[in-house]
Amino acid sequence: MAAIVETKGLVKRYGQLTAVKDLDLVVEEGAVFGFVGPNGAGKTTTMRILATLLRPTAGEARVAGYSVRKDRRSVRRAIGYMPDFFGVYDDMKVWEYLDFFSACYEIPPETRRRLVGDLLELVDLAHRRDDYVDALSRGMKQRLCLARALAHDPRLLILDEPASGLDPRARVEIRELLRELQAMGKTIFVSSHILLEIEEICTHIGIIEAGQLVATGTLAEMRQLIQSHRVVRVGLTGRIEEAHAWLSGQSGVMGVEPVTGNGEGDLEVMFVGDDEALAGLLREMVIAGFPVVGFREEAGDLEDVFMRLTKGIVS
Amino acid sequence: MIGLWRAARGNPILQWEYQRIRRRRWWPGRRFYLFYPVLLGVALGIGVMLLATDEFGVRVAAVAIAAILGLPLGLLVWFLSTALPWIAPALTAATIARERGMGTLDLLRATLLTERSIVLGKLGACMIQLWPGILLLILLSPFQITGQLVGGLGSGLCLCPCASSDGAFLALALGFGTEYVWVLVALAVVLGTLRPLAALALNAAVGMFVSVLSRSTGVAVAAAYGAVLAMRAFLWLLMSFMTPMFFLVLDPAIFDPAYAYSVSGPSQVVQWLPSFLPLLEVVVEFAGAVMLVGGAIWWLKRG
Repeated sequence: MAAIVETKGLVKRYGQLTAVKDLDLVVEEGAVFGFVGPNGAGKTTTMRILATLLRPTAGEARVAGYSVRKDRRSVRRAIGYMPDFFGVYDDMKVWEYLDFFSACYEIPPETRRRLVGDLLELVDLAHRRDDYVDALSRGMKQRLCLARALAHDPRLLILDEPASGLDPRARVEIRELLRELQAMGKTIFVSSHILLEIEEICTHIGIIEAGQLVATGTLAEMRQLIQSHRVVRVGLTGRIEEAHAWLSGQSGVMGVEPVTGNGEGDLEVMFVGDDEALAGLLREMVIAGFPVVGFREEAGDLEDVFMRLTKGIVS
Repeated sequence: MIGLWRAARGNPILQWEYQRIRRRRWWPGRRFYLFYPVLLGVALGIGVMLLATDEFGVRVAAVAIAAILGLPLGLLVWFLSTALPWIAPALTAATIARERGMGTLDLLRATLLTERSIVLGKLGACMIQLWPGILLLILLSPFQITGQLVGGLGSGLCLCPCASSDGAFLALALGFGTEYVWVLVALAVVLGTLRPLAALALNAAVGMFVSVLSRSTGVAVAAAYGAVLAMRAFLWLLMSFMTPMFFLVLDPAIFDPAYAYSVSGPSQVVQWLPSFLPLLEVVVEFAGAVMLVGGAIWWLKRG
């Protein structure tokens, strides 16, 4: 598959701050690329550069084969951009909003009417056609913004945190919409600071931290990476120091750290291995006579685990 | 002209803003435009009475009508020519800054709209809002003379941009017999209309430029007025400096006291040159406006 987004040594500096550091990124056509990283990692900056809204300090970025520096118009024609805020005019009606942006994409008036109807149908807002944009719920506004980004039938969608601030139901709706769009053959470049949020729909994932891409690959590759590194929290009523030393010597254990703050006294064990091996470790621990009261895998925040691991890989 | 119309029709920003303006409660309906032909008719009537006949009685009647109508209409002219240029920066300063504040500027920039059509569309929309006033000002131009008399009284106080075609007044007051008096009157009328329009253009452009730089509407509007005042002060200094320079170049002898107070007086060029200096100011202002709008587009392009 051909790459629709390609950056080479992309750098963006704001004065002293380097928001994006030497970023090499490839997104293949037809992929749903999840761009994950904590707040301030450089996700929005990268996306704004790809949307031709920011000029890179150094390096090159190509979207659909066009340079974001030199051929901005062609890039703009190829992308639909949705920023991390709604960006709606308060005194516009829903259909006027889409009509206005269609006009901005040089779509002739004759075809606009039909197009607006189709777009509203697609994002399930046809029944709110004549309402003011202001009167819509957050989820509806987000869907309207997505419809706007689709007005000129772009090949690539750049969606910055599309699910942030939405209730679970609206989140599911957006996810379903993205699935539908992928089925229509669009490439989707979507960012989030929560991996779980977009994990389900992504075919590829890239992890960015402090302006650098720390890991990238297909979802299967990433899953493997995540699953081979597990974090287990072990609760003990005593002999903590002893258990720390004992655990460090066991096979499959990559590291042991005492938990600080909330849940102090527990141990956090980095473990490589499958469920069988993990069960074996618990058995061994009990046999060795440690007073174990808790033994659970920290699976709640997958991304949190991932961030820690990727940090380990880099350093 | 047709090209301009096409560009306006094809500019989504201008189209949408026009829709918004038309929705406003104060926006005058079509009936408002009936006002304009009536005004035009009155002015033409007076003009015909003054110019088409040599009969003394008719002329006196024309002057009397002009004087009676002239006071209220002149006041209106004076009000419009003072108010319009000072409303414009508030309108233009709010445009781009508002879009940026709402976060919609990025959306517009991400579309195929060029920076030029964004800025010109917004500017055009502001001009549409002022259009009833601008049209009225143009049609009332025959009443500039009375307007300038009214304005002239308060010009020092209220920065009225139309109140200093002094040359024409000097000629009217002192040299009524001179053969140039009609030229000077016509010049005063044309300048009296052009000057507020030029001031409006420059002030609007200053507002637009400030708007492109600003992040919030409030800051943009305040900064725009600051910039407009600074620009006015600069222009005033420039013109005060240029006036004596012109005299010096054209007729250096005028600075010789013996010559200035001689029986023949200063040459005729020097006599009516001051009337044309405001024309220069008008040109400078329009040129400045074009440059500032260009600058605004350039800055927006830089991103």
